[in-house]
Formats: sequence, structure tokens, C-alpha cells
Amino acid sequence: MLRRTTAALAGSVAALSLLVTACGGAGPDTTPSKATTGKVTFWSFLKGSDHVAEAFNRSHPDIQVTFENVPSNQEYYSKLTNAVKAGTAPDVAVVEYPHLPEFATQGKIEDLSGTLGPVVKERFPEAVRQLVDLGGRTWGVPRDVAPLLLMYRKDFFTRHKIAVPTTWDAYRTMTEQVRKADPDARGGVLFTDNPGLLTALSWQAGAKWFDAGQDSWQVTLDDGPSKRTAAYWGDLAREDLVRSLSAADPFWTSIQKNRTVAYVCASWCAGAHQATVPDQKGKWAVAPVPTWDGKPASGMYGGSSFVIPKGSGNSRAAAEFIKWITTDPEGMKAWVSSGTSSMFPADPALVPVTKAAFGTEYYGGQDLYALGKASYDAVRPGWAWGPVMGATNTALVDRLPKVAGGTVSLPDVLTLAERTTVAQMKQRGMRVTAP
Amino acid sequence: MTTPSTLPTAPAPAPAPAAVPAPLPHRRRRAPKAPSALLSRAGVTALLALATLYTLLPLTWLLLSSTKSRADLFGTNGFAPGRDMHLAENLEQLFTADGGVYLRWILNTVAYAGVGALLAAVFSVAAGYAFDKLAFPGKERLFSLVLLGVMVPGTALAIPLFLLAAEAGLVNTFWSVFLPGLVFPFGVYLARVFSASYVPDEVLEAARMDGASEFRAFRTIAFPMLAPGFVTIFLFQFTQIWNSFFLPLVMLSDQDLYPVNLGLYVWYSSALSQGHPEDYLLAVVGSLVAVAPLIAVFLMLQRFWKSGMTAGAVK
Repeated sequence: MLRRTTAALAGSVAALSLLVTACGGAGPDTTPSKATTGKVTFWSFLKGSDHVAEAFNRSHPDIQVTFENVPSNQEYYSKLTNAVKAGTAPDVAVVEYPHLPEFATQGKIEDLSGTLGPVVKERFPEAVRQLVDLGGRTWGVPRDVAPLLLMYRKDFFTRHKIAVPTTWDAYRTMTEQVRKADPDARGGVLFTDNPGLLTALSWQAGAKWFDAGQDSWQVTLDDGPSKRTAAYWGDLAREDLVRSLSAADPFWTSIQKNRTVAYVCASWCAGAHQATVPDQKGKWAVAPVPTWDGKPASGMYGGSSFVIPKGSGNSRAAAEFIKWITTDPEGMKAWVSSGTSSMFPADPALVPVTKAAFGTEYYGGQDLYALGKASYDAVRPGWAWGPVMGATNTALVDRLPKVAGGTVSLPDVLTLAERTTVAQMKQRGMRVTAP
Repeated sequence: MTTPSTLPTAPAPAPAPAAVPAPLPHRRRRAPKAPSALLSRAGVTALLALATLYTLLPLTWLLLSSTKSRADLFGTNGFAPGRDMHLAENLEQLFTADGGVYLRWILNTVAYAGVGALLAAVFSVAAGYAFDKLAFPGKERLFSLVLLGVMVPGTALAIPLFLLAAEAGLVNTFWSVFLPGLVFPFGVYLARVFSASYVPDEVLEAARMDGASEFRAFRTIAFPMLAPGFVTIFLFQFTQIWNSFFLPLVMLSDQDLYPVNLGLYVWYSSALSQGHPEDYLLAVVGSLVAVAPLIAVFLMLQRFWKSGMTAGAVK
């Protein structure tokens, strides 16, 4: 019993922050200050990373950044974990928000509180700071955020006199109207291979899946708002009011064939959508995401941050690079230089940069960034990602395809995923006090 | 990393229902022998047809999808041809994307798999021959070590190999993927079996009588006799390295060193989620081009392959 408690404490957030400060956190500050120079390796799977590295090298002759294009998904995170273990990690790496706590609690990334912490505090709103801060320390610097939006076929809605829903009750009515108007068409999707949207919608409803206390975690994947959201989408899928399909090509096929005429997505989807289905130009429009009570509320579906993995030989230059690519207008300009990205910068001051780069003729000239800004402002506070999100997501994805068939209910999927998550966390020596 | 398999698959309700109706028709079928033979033949044919479909359907999809434009890729049925032929454009895009990096991936793969498997086959045949024909202390114990190597799957070794390579400073170099490909315990085992059945001891005896050194006897007498075995081992290892994904994934991060499957995965994994559907199409066309060499190698060498597979079956 005693042994177990010690192990649990060692893995807990409080102990971790202490430990990290003790061994690595002070490093960059105590080194004698000289100009930041040297080589920086940079791992990323984000589009535009090559342009960003080039642009940085041009404007910073003292630092040489080498960009390495790596595959995304879970494979990337195991690769990064192994690289840190072996001491061959890069100096800068991309990590999506859901995976950040996992790297932080395992001590795989540097505590940035001393170096980039002030920048994060100064430039980024609470809605995204809550995603990179853990245990009172800063572990990553946000690049983009992914507030929710509703994409819909304007032509279809007008032709069949369907109103754009602002509440989830109205959304349900809309899906019924869509199916009535065209038996082949549906007004939404439940992705079977990506739990991100369901998570974001729970977040929007006010759910809190994880809470890191002083020395323990609370895990409540099936709290009230989550259950409500899950029951709602589970019903829609079972009644065949929304499609249940993979987020990869089956989804885009359904768009291309006019079988999906509305779906909830995030700001970045606008660019992905227009690039993938270019011939539906002018037919789509974007609206605020519906909410439960009609008042603005949002969550995030995607987004990424940058970290300095443990063992980086040049964390000063790495920090300089991270700062430039996340908060400098020139850096942001390089990210979106292809003109195809509709990503929403985490730093609100950079919105004009991305807005200028992304043409919205596809959406009839709509001001997407105003919609994105409103949604970003409405992102619910109090959300935190868990320390074993890989396991959590796998547990969710394993059962999602069975929801539409009625073999398992969506709220039950959450309960089962919670069980898997808690088991995994205990296995790693973390203390879980709730449920 | 391979995706964890789903835990709660429905328990297989296997033999029970099939066993129940068996006895009755059993007796009836016994008397006239023809229907049973016919049935089994139809059954076998149906099973083979199913297996053929299973193999050919994905290939058909790949072949058809590679000829489509991006709009057709999502707008038309996967098993129907697109509205217009787009293969030439797709190929051109494939070989010019990212400064022609695809060709580089192919060449890398040829080096990893082609050269690697060639050397691995040479080493395996030499080692297997030695295990069979030469006497040295600790031989059988050494050989059981080789057999142990056969049992351990390559994926399980990727992480330990990676940690070793990190110690040696080889991570993210050509050698980190090339060197592990040279070790092929199963090939050594096969070569020993081949050597036992293809190379008569008397021939070697005669060579030694004529004054040939051990090495010369192996090189000029035994090795040609082992040629079919050599090709079999080469093909085994060639496909293994060609398909190896996890090892290059953990070892490499420099895109210029990627083998083709890893490169295709990079294109595929971020294409649709990040709004670069052209990468998705590239991954599709790239996959088609990547399987072509494998098919060519097999067509050319299947004669050896077949004879190698059945070697020692009689003896």
C-alpha cells in the first residue's frame, strides 16, 4: 500500500512540477547569456512547416533550422517518445493539444515556464492557455486553435426552405427536414474513426473530462454534459438522421456526391473543404455552431502547439524559433503562404495575417475569421486534456462504429472509455480520485 | 505502431450451428459419390474465388483510383472508372511533387530492400551451408540461437534496435535501416535445409580431394547448386524489407532517407485532415507505382521461388 502511494505521488502533477524544476527547468536561464546561435532540428507534420523554417533561416542568420517532415497520427507520438528516450529527439516538435499532458506528465518535454511562459501569458487568451498549462507550468506554445463552426449547403437550405439551426433542438429538426427533402441527403455526421468532434461537442456543452488536482486526477468522461451530448448524437446516428462514417475519404465522397449537406467542424475545415471539393464553390456557407441554450458556446476540434523535447541541445535557439513561428506576424505569414489554409491563429493579434492570406470566394466572401473569432471567444473555460489521451481515443474509436447500429449506446461508449483511461492511468502510477 | 486491435469482438459462435444439421444429409450423400465430389469441388472453387476477390479488389480500386482526377476520386464509385483519364497527369505530379522526392524514396527502397536482401541472402546461404556441412564446436547450440531469432518478430525488435542505433549514433542514417535488414535468421534456417537436400556430401568430398579450399568448394561448387534456395531467401527478405514500416518509422526523420512506404504514409496521414487532398491522390498513385516493382520481381523469379518452396518436400 505504501509503495503504491509513493508511486502514485511520483506520477502526480505536483511532484512532477517540482521534479522538473529541480532538474531541467532552470537550465536555459542559468547558462551565461550569449547570442542565441546554432542548429535547431524541427519535427512537424503541419503543412507549411518547410516555408516557416526557410523564412526563419532567412531572417535569422545565426540560427540554422532543419525541418524534418514526419508522419502524423499516433505513430508520430510513439516516435517522439522513443526519440526522447534514446536521446535523439529534435529541438522543436509539434504536439497537438490532446497529447501535451501525456508528454508533460512523463517528463518528455522541457518546462517552458521560465523561457516562453511570459510570452504565453501575455499573448494568448485563457481559452488556449488552459491547454498548454498544466500543474501551474507552461509546457508548450500554441500555434493555432480550432473553434467549432457549422458548415452547410446554402443552396440546399434555401431551395428547401430549411432554417440554419442555432440550437441543438433546431439542429435535430434540420436533419429531419434534410432527409425529408432528399432521402439521400443527411444534415450531419458522426465520425467513426475520430473521436475529436464528439469530444469538442462535449466540451462545448460544458463537460470536463479531466481535472488535475494537487496530487491526483479526476476523470469524468461521462459527466452530465457529456452524457447529454452523447445521447443526442447517438440518437441522431441510430435514427439515421446523420451519417456514421469515416472522416477520411468516405466523408469527402459523401460531400462530393451531395449526400452530406451540413456538418459541424472547426475553423481549419474551411480550407480543407474548399481544397477537397473545389467544384462546389459558392454552394457552401459557414454559421456559428449551434448550442444547447442558444447562447454562444464553443469547444475545439484540433489545433497544435510546439514543445521543446527533453534532451534538446539548443533550447535557447529552439525557444527563439518557437516564439517566432507562433507570435511573429512574419512567422504566421509563412505558415499560411500557400493561401490554402484557413487555420485560426491562437494569438488573436495575428488574425489579420491569416485573414489576408485566405480568400473566401468559395464561401461567397463570408467573413470566416469574424465567425472564428466569435467562436474562439466562446470556448468554454475549464477544459483539460488527459494524460493518456492515446489510450482514451483508442477506447472511444474502437466502439464508435457500433453506435449507429445500436449495439452500444454512445453514453455507454464514454463510460467504457473512462474505465479504460482510469485503468491506464493507474497502471502508470497516477492517482485517480474520481469517479 | 500497429493499431491496437479491438478488445470486445463478439465471441465467435463457431462450430455449434454447423455441427447440428450434419448427420442427416451425411448418410444421404454417402451413397452416390459424385455429388460430394462435386460439392467439394464447388466449395473449393468458391473459396478460391473469394480469396481471389479479396486479393484483387483492393488492387482494382487502386488501379482505377490512380486514373482519376481529384473530383472523380471522391465523386465516382471506387470500382467504376472515372469520367476522364487522368493517369498521365497524376504520374507527372507524383514524380515532381516536393522536388521529385518520390523517386528518391523508390531508390532508397531499392537500396534497402534490393541490396539489403541480396547481401542477407548471401550471408544466409553461407551460414546455412556452414551449419550443414562443416563441423565446429557448439554448432547445434549456435543453431538454436538462430532458431530463437526466427521466433522473435521483427516489429518487437524495432525499439531495442533503435536504442542500440542511438548509442552508436546511427539514428537517422541510411545504415540504421540497411544494417538490420542484413540479419535474416529464417534465411539461415532455410539455407541449412536447402544445403542438406541440394548439395551431396560426395561432391564436396571430391572437390576437397582435388585440392579445393573450403571457401572455393563453397563458392564454385555448392553455391551454384544452392541457387534456387538463394533466390527463395532473397525474395523472402526482399518482401520483408520492402514492407517493413515500423523500423524506418522510428529510425528515420530525414525525408530524403525514407523508404517509399513511409513516404506514402507521410502524404496519406496528413492529407485529408489538413486540406491537401492532392497529397491523398499522390499517396494513391504512389502506392500503385510502388507495388509495380514487387510484381515485376515476382514474375521474373517465380520459377525459382516455386522450385525453392517445394525443395526437400520429397526427400
